[in-house]
Amino acid sequence: MDHYKLPISEINKLFKDKKLKPSELYTEVFERTASTESIIHGHLSLFQEENIKKATDADERFLKGDELGVLDGIPVAIKDNINISGYATTCSSQMLSNYISPYDATVISKLKEEGVIFTGKTNLDEFAMGSSTENSAFGPTKNPWDPSRVPGGSSGGSAAVVSAGSAIASLGSDTGGSIRQPASFCGVVGFKPTYGTVSRYGLVAFASSLDQIGPITNNVSDAKILYNSIRGHDPFDATSLKDVNVKQPKLEKAKIGIIKELMEDGISEDAKSEVHKVSKLLESQGHEIIEVSLPLTKMSISIYYLIAPAECSANLSRFDGVRYGNRVNGNTSYEMMEATRAEGFGPEVKKRILLGTYALSAGYYDAFYGQALKARSMMKKEFTETFEQVDYLISPTTPSDPFKFGEKSDNQLEMYMSDLCTIPANLVGMPAISIPTGLSSSGLPLSVQIMSPFNTDNTLLDFAQNLESEVSFNALPQIQGDGE
Amino acid sequence: MTEKINIKNVAKLAALKLTSEEELKLEKDLSMIIDHFAALSEMELPDEKITIHPLGMSLNLAEDEAFKFFTHDEALSNAPEAIDGQFVVPPALD
Repeated sequence: MDHYKLPISEINKLFKDKKLKPSELYTEVFERTASTESIIHGHLSLFQEENIKKATDADERFLKGDELGVLDGIPVAIKDNINISGYATTCSSQMLSNYISPYDATVISKLKEEGVIFTGKTNLDEFAMGSSTENSAFGPTKNPWDPSRVPGGSSGGSAAVVSAGSAIASLGSDTGGSIRQPASFCGVVGFKPTYGTVSRYGLVAFASSLDQIGPITNNVSDAKILYNSIRGHDPFDATSLKDVNVKQPKLEKAKIGIIKELMEDGISEDAKSEVHKVSKLLESQGHEIIEVSLPLTKMSISIYYLIAPAECSANLSRFDGVRYGNRVNGNTSYEMMEATRAEGFGPEVKKRILLGTYALSAGYYDAFYGQALKARSMMKKEFTETFEQVDYLISPTTPSDPFKFGEKSDNQLEMYMSDLCTIPANLVGMPAISIPTGLSSSGLPLSVQIMSPFNTDNTLLDFAQNLESEVSFNALPQIQGDGE
Repeated sequence: MTEKINIKNVAKLAALKLTSEEELKLEKDLSMIIDHFAALSEMELPDEKITIHPLGMSLNLAEDEAFKFFTHDEALSNAPEAIDGQFVVPPALD
């Protein structure tokens, strides 16, 4: 029997009942990796050698009844922009191809305490900038449902390995949809928590006011387990939230708003009909569905592509060839810095650094960056006021099903538009989850996104879990060459 | 309202050395993106309070206390060049 698609709670029960050992599960997952990785290319590195001992250590703990928790012995993949001490953190960039982290990210320390086995590090768009993994310096990841299509991005590797069964779950990071969009493209669950609930310490910064670490999983229950393992205030992250009590949305007879602006032009008929299908299902469960208008969501791409590059241009100034990363020599420090950055960064990263530098430069700051910050505050106000009327908001996660390699790489604005539905949750800091609900007319996964007010993450997860059980999406990718 | 982007100047500010091909391509790409921003930059928006934290909360600063962290060697372990416990860089001036 295959175990790699079982919920973590069921695997844990099998471990406790001595019906399955962590080492047996690890072997199964590794064999799955061996048969799919040459097609998918989801992992950049695998920690197989050391994991054999870690898995047998977990066997011992379960044998003695000394297990560390529900995640003990569970193979989890980590996006390669999250630091694990003693291992490379490349961010899929030539700039950091030789960087070995001397420390653990806070989320990694927390998962180590739970006995998690890290399968390895997963591929991403360079420095998490992209929507397809086509920007990885180490080659793209392929979508397990159709290798001619992208897995989404930037956490494309993290989503693909969960979908393919070469990890039970994974961590990604989400700045404008980088967990939810690839999760949707790969037919798995992706959760972006409330900004500040999960420490960003040890995550290589892209846009600090938007970045958030979160889980990618086979089901909502696993997302809830992982989220609650990594959340919590961290003094090493100044933006980390302390627990606050807020009014929770209703789980039964809730009022749910369909975002009008995310059901209009640019959204495929397949994606819209998925939202209508789910809305009918929710109505049949006794929930009330209304249409709500959030006009500034139409501006979200512009707001995001001013704020995120501005923050990225500042954050990536640290890659100067002095303290870490590759260096290209020059006669002066400045020449060395310019040459190092020219060789180390790929085209999309250069473009975003330049865009941010331009938006922050004298004469343009007020018209661009300042205006984007004002619009962001207005947008937050729109969402806050809307959440006074509704418990949840619903939309497609992505405007379409997964696109083909090269389809959008020559049209940057079209590529940026693939994050249209996911960006608003980052701009306003609220939690959002993507759950797979059906297949498009091409037989590829489609998802819906549900958002809730800030700091209501666990209620949102409970609500999504109820919906998931009603939807009963259980299709799996048939990966060519995996013998299924 | 968009004017031609001075790509050479922006690249200098960003400490990025570009080839002439890159300059041409990036100038075109960036101009297209900046044109897309026109609708936002021309919007009439009230003078909203702007914040760094998306939830509008103040930053939680750590206590000003010493604690054990990286050793000297660990901090230098990824340096492209280090001598006698210090980072080595080319001269600042020609």
